[in-house]
Amino acid sequence: MVLKLYGLTTSTKTRSVAQICKEKEIPYELITVDLRAGEQKLPPHLAIQPFGQVPVIDDDGFILYESRAIGRYLATKYANQGTPNLIPTNPKELAFFEQAASIELSNFEPHAYGVCFEKVFKLRRGLQTDEAALAKHLETLNAKLDAYEVILSKQKYLAGDYVTLADLYHLPFGMMVEGLGYDVFQRRPNVARWWNDISNRPSWSAVKNGA
Amino acid sequence: MVLKLYGFPTSTCTLRVAVVLKEKNVPFEYHNVDLTKGEHKAPGFVVHQPFGQVPYIDDDGLILYESRAIARYIAAKYASQGTQLIPTDPTAHALFEQAASIETSNFDPFASGLAWELKFTTWFGGKTDEARAKSLHTQLAAKLDAYEVILGKQKYLAGNQVTLADLFHLPYGSVILDIGIDEFSSRPNVKRWWGDITSREAWVAVKDGIA
Repeated sequence: MVLKLYGLTTSTKTRSVAQICKEKEIPYELITVDLRAGEQKLPPHLAIQPFGQVPVIDDDGFILYESRAIGRYLATKYANQGTPNLIPTNPKELAFFEQAASIELSNFEPHAYGVCFEKVFKLRRGLQTDEAALAKHLETLNAKLDAYEVILSKQKYLAGDYVTLADLYHLPFGMMVEGLGYDVFQRRPNVARWWNDISNRPSWSAVKNGA
Repeated sequence: MVLKLYGFPTSTCTLRVAVVLKEKNVPFEYHNVDLTKGEHKAPGFVVHQPFGQVPYIDDDGLILYESRAIARYIAAKYASQGTQLIPTDPTAHALFEQAASIETSNFDPFASGLAWELKFTTWFGGKTDEARAKSLHTQLAAKLDAYEVILGKQKYLAGNQVTLADLFHLPYGSVILDIGIDEFSSRPNVKRWWGDITSREAWVAVKDGIA
């Protein structure tokens, strides 16, 4: 049975999972959860995702949520097709992958998300940007990307010399930050090289405007 | 050569690594990085950890940072000794990754944010942002309602065996309890789970700091 992806075509994390499906050549069926109508907070959805969030997959009856967990599951299950080594198997490379995956979720996402929250998500809910909070997020994000600049001067991707899930997970919020006019990536040569590489992958081009 | 752990005695992320080393019966040598003197921002440190954060390990020349990555590395390298902390069965593994992601996305931002606003910011001459603390507290409570549902069906976050995902909650969970944020006791399943993981020998051995 074809993989079911519950989410919204424009949701950052739904597109993240869709991208992994493209990388691994996994067909999927997008089943819309109407976030604007609050469908994700209703009992039928809560039954499969107790936090009331998207995305969720149903892989022939196996339900899984948390986009990074879904990405890891798919990359492992379909290790032998599509882009190889999205999660390395060699122990040392795996350790560096886990380091890179943790860098993304601890050092990038909170601040990239923070910028998007202040400039996009709050406005959608009729709330106002907190300029001080926005400034703080941008300051921290820039400081973190200074460290990325050092890392990426020594290797092609965040975990080593080939692309892994850790790189790809930056794309949804990173694209949004760039789209808001903050050139946090382009002003740093090594980060720009890496960012332009992963942003132009066919898998991302296929889903970036909709899963 | 014995594993070297570079950290700070009460640093939450250092304790996150220490509890896993204890669970896996891995001897280690603790090296103090004096955060109060800015040692973590000195060139000699930043060369190993470009974000200027603790902890990092030196395992016979292999330098690794990000506490959850270090924990995963130790759990994998020493899979055959101590407590099994990452399941190998594919389905159980996927559910472990889901639980690990729940911790990083649905617990850590709120717990660590509260720890910062109500405790750590004052150490660095900052002031508590009361509005932010209140918002984080409200959000944390809502997240733990979902934990209550999950833990009503199974013993631990990933299933019926303890995994790294449960242990990862210990440091910040303990800090927020310590500063008077108790969203565990009023939720019977969460209370049961929290009581279980906090009474583990490995945590009791490190919770008050390592030297």
